Amino acid sequence: MGSYYDIDSILTDSQKVPCTFELSVPGLGYLSGNAGGDMKQGTRCELPLWLAEMLAVSLGNSAPITLDIPDALSQRVLNALKASPRSVDLRGQAPHFYRLGTRILDLFEDEEIVDVLTESFKKRAAEIADHAYNPRGALGEGADFLQGIDESERELFRAAHSSAKAMREWMGEMKKK
Amino acid sequence: MALPLPPGLTPPEVAFLCEMELVTVVPRQRLEGLELLGGTTPELRPPYRAVLPLWLALLLKRQRRANILPPPWLHPSSLDTILRLETEVHKETFSPPPLFPPSNNNLHETRSAPFLPSCTADAAADALPYHWLEVGEILLDAAPDDLVEPDTVRRLMRDLREVRMAKMRAGVAVLDGGAVVGLKGVGGMEVSEGRAFISGVIDNLRKIGASREQSRREREAEERENGYDDADEDEDMGL
Repeated sequence: MGSYYDIDSILTDSQKVPCTFELSVPGLGYLSGNAGGDMKQGTRCELPLWLAEMLAVSLGNSAPITLDIPDALSQRVLNALKASPRSVDLRGQAPHFYRLGTRILDLFEDEEIVDVLTESFKKRAAEIADHAYNPRGALGEGADFLQGIDESERELFRAAHSSAKAMREWMGEMKKK
Repeated sequence: MALPLPPGLTPPEVAFLCEMELVTVVPRQRLEGLELLGGTTPELRPPYRAVLPLWLALLLKRQRRANILPPPWLHPSSLDTILRLETEVHKETFSPPPLFPPSNNNLHETRSAPFLPSCTADAAADALPYHWLEVGEILLDAAPDDLVEPDTVRRLMRDLREVRMAKMRAGVAVLDGGAVVGLKGVGGMEVSEGRAFISGVIDNLRKIGASREQSRREREAEERENGYDDADEDEDMGL
């Protein structure tokens, strides 16, 4: 999963996921806005993925917290993606939506999420290609859609756009000579 | 990350490689054979045709020492036929590449561009060779006066490129973590243009499907341990 210095995977790991504390922890109240107090058993709060993953998985059955599926992958978002993959603002859900999805899928096995993510990635990739190969794509009517694509889709857009640009440059140079 | 260049070849590099293609020229001046690393070029004696590498032909053309005979597939009528093939017969796939010349049973024969005579005057007229886009553009640029109706040729080349790029993009919809798009007949320049996008899509789909792949492997390993071992698989293979 990426290299140690991969900024995208670091940013993915710092995204917050909802978790529930399974035991009371003295002095941790500041996490839920109760400074100086204790963290009560059963409190729900948001922790960064790297911390939550470690606390939820490391100690086996006696884990101090349990993880929940983040809002970005909730049923509401999945339904929206199923209905119309192109009109969902993934960036608003999570800047690293697909990477977050992959990390969550490592922890929870959920066939439905895999299916929905695969399908919507394909549909959106076709749309991205259309915008990337169109020289005015990023400015014209595609602007709304391109605002809503997540980081890995941006990467894809950049790659497709620069190869299209290199091609146009080569053809342009041919004419100049 | 350390290398600023993306994997694969850039368009100018592909065009450079394409200049090794052989083309037919009609010389206007005599020229002795040249001793080059790739072998001796044929002696040029007007008005006999000779087959030269594209780069040398372009050089002679610029100095007005030779005319280039365009390959048959670069005629407007054959381009039109190929365009119709692309849009009406092979709606999903690309039009097939030219057939290999009949083999002489020589094991050491080279079978890939640029060593096939795919751009000389006796190339096939109804199929686009590997370097069609590059050769077409270069000839349109350097030797428009040797082509038949260069403006029609230019328009048809544009149309062909659009049609084929659209097919390449549409191919993404059928992609899956493990599946591939049929890219038979795709030219070198088109590969260079589509590589970044297609490999990016496949890579991301593979990452999304990684957990499913993992659990499938685990299940298989489990089944194998539970006694549905190799005997079963062998039977399947037999069927």
